[in-house]
Amino acid sequence: MTVEIESIEETLKVTNQLGLHARVATMMVQAMRNFASQVTLIKDGMEVDARSVLGLLLLAATPGSEILVRAHGPDSKAAIEEIGRLIRDEERTDS
Amino acid sequence: MKNAPTANTKEAVDMNGSNDNQTNLYVRGVGVSSGVGIGQAVVIERISTEICPKRIINPEEVPLEIARFEEAVKSAAERLKNIKSEIDAQHPLGDHLYILDTHILLLEDRMFFEGTKKAIASERQNAEWALSEILLQITSAFDTIEDEYLRERARDIHFVGERVLKNLMGVHSERKMHQLPPNSIIVAHDLSPADTAQIKRESVLGFAIDMGGRTSHTAIMARSLKMPAVTGLEKVSRVVQTGDTIIVDGSTGLVIANPDPETIYRYRERQEVYRKYHLSLLTFGKLPAVTRDGSRSVRISANIEFADEIDIAVSHGSEGIGLFRTEYLFLGRKDFPSEEEQFEAYRKVVRGNNPDPVTIRTLDVGGDKIAANLNVTGEANPALGLRAIRLCLHRRDIFRTQLRAILRAAAYGNCRLLIPMISCLTEIHNTKKFLQQVKDELAAEGAEFQQGLALGILVEVPSAVAIVDLLAKEVDFLSIGTNDLIQYALAIDRVNEHVNYLYDTLHPAILRLIRQITNAGVVSGVPVSMCGEMAGDPVNIPILLGLGINELSMHPLAIPMVKKLIRSISMDECVELTRGAFEMQEAGEIHRYLEAWINERFPGDFFLDESRSSS
Repeated sequence: MTVEIESIEETLKVTNQLGLHARVATMMVQAMRNFASQVTLIKDGMEVDARSVLGLLLLAATPGSEILVRAHGPDSKAAIEEIGRLIRDEERTDS
Repeated sequence: MKNAPTANTKEAVDMNGSNDNQTNLYVRGVGVSSGVGIGQAVVIERISTEICPKRIINPEEVPLEIARFEEAVKSAAERLKNIKSEIDAQHPLGDHLYILDTHILLLEDRMFFEGTKKAIASERQNAEWALSEILLQITSAFDTIEDEYLRERARDIHFVGERVLKNLMGVHSERKMHQLPPNSIIVAHDLSPADTAQIKRESVLGFAIDMGGRTSHTAIMARSLKMPAVTGLEKVSRVVQTGDTIIVDGSTGLVIANPDPETIYRYRERQEVYRKYHLSLLTFGKLPAVTRDGSRSVRISANIEFADEIDIAVSHGSEGIGLFRTEYLFLGRKDFPSEEEQFEAYRKVVRGNNPDPVTIRTLDVGGDKIAANLNVTGEANPALGLRAIRLCLHRRDIFRTQLRAILRAAAYGNCRLLIPMISCLTEIHNTKKFLQQVKDELAAEGAEFQQGLALGILVEVPSAVAIVDLLAKEVDFLSIGTNDLIQYALAIDRVNEHVNYLYDTLHPAILRLIRQITNAGVVSGVPVSMCGEMAGDPVNIPILLGLGINELSMHPLAIPMVKKLIRSISMDECVELTRGAFEMQEAGEIHRYLEAWINERFPGDFFLDESRSSS
């Protein structure tokens, strides 16, 4: 029996007030350490690794923008859920 | 405050024509954290890594350079982790310290770490050169980002890169941020979050920084530390020297180097007033704004922009939100916020203030400020162009979405709808017609919403004042938007340095316009509120009460002082002062009259803006 590797994708909307800002990017990279799946975020033709803070910031995902999240691996579903939670969360803002 | 010990040498320098030690050297920047700090400058030297050694290396040197780079990154990461661990959990910066984690992650980032190693191997550049090229690539990628906050993050990669470069170049002058003398004012070209985090709060009285704006981390951290800070000073780190006496006024964005004893004295007073206020004011915030004789009470509410500001508004004593600006939802993005997104934002504010009222202002910007696809560019005169309600009536799709979101959110508490920039009756008729249509649509869908949502207009165009008696009959309340009203009525662009000296809230014309509005309110039985900056300045309060304003909405921090003033005066005094002011012919005369009265009646109690009285 082979272990099924799932590859899934989902479009998520950034509802955070400041967008995918430094705090969310940091939390995302840290959270991804607990997942085995390969996760990428795609926006306006730009594709970045969910484990790269620089990539996430350069994605310039401002509030309201839509991001396609693609995950490949044994825990892909959970990984996407976690990403969704982080970019939706009503974060406290930096002010 | 002791006089600067080097006073004599300073005079000598002055005679040599150097302006470095000029007394009362004013530098203007952006006040990003309020309060006044007076102390001795500690100039944090700028360690230049801009000129780094560049050379082509031999193929056999590649592994060595890569190892050197890896070592430099490793020690930079260790240093950051050390800084983080040295700061205890009770640090006032609290969770802003996450930014140190961001920096650690940036060091490990593939783009940065692998990118540099690849450049060493393929381009045969020495580590410093390869790294600076990669940093340049990354920071220029940030330059293209439209969003101000995200674009500013280029500073973070810069700080991280600089740390590694210093290690590579053997520059080991770690800034000794934790060994500052007492009463220090930190003066720097720029401060990294790591620098700020190490600062011993007891020894620092303020910040004066060349770089950055309101969203820089120095600004954010200074606000968390409740320390006065001014940024965007451009050259302050070059004109000020360590040991200079320096004043930082974070409220006005002014920095004064080498102040003369009189200036120091004035700012000491100002600081004292400020400090006393902080202690006593919050108690006033909790009390109702009733005049001393008990004959008049005014609702004091807050102007806010983000739902997060509710906490600060409530803690300063606001009794509702008199102006909730909705523009931030629309700015800095390519699309329009959906109904759901707006609904969530509005509901949060409405719920958070229930049962106090929340006045939501519909979109109040020009077409040039929002989503690029609006095609409203090339207006020669945007202030007089397609903006605010004009834009909304022109783009009904945008207006419909916002009205639906507000109507639905209003079901969760006490909410009012405020329409900006109304200039004629047709506009209010069309708005009401369209509002009814949107309500019918919601009703047909069976949606939950507030059928009886109160409707008001922002009176800010002179033509609206001229017909305010007619407009008042159409609405549930009137709100005076003084910032725009003054600009339009006096034909003065407030940010135009050539004419802004003419901008005056107490211009007799403005007082007459306000009187016309409050009179119309009384005749039609609709309440009149005021939500411009004028409402938050104590000097104006007696007249506004005298004219019969029912609600004053202001920056949350201004609330306690305004409440204190209202509680200290009687309605008779307000009426008398108003009568006196209306007999005068010039703005300056009215200002002096009111300030003199307040200062005489309550010596030292109210913090009046001295730059104004001296003008």
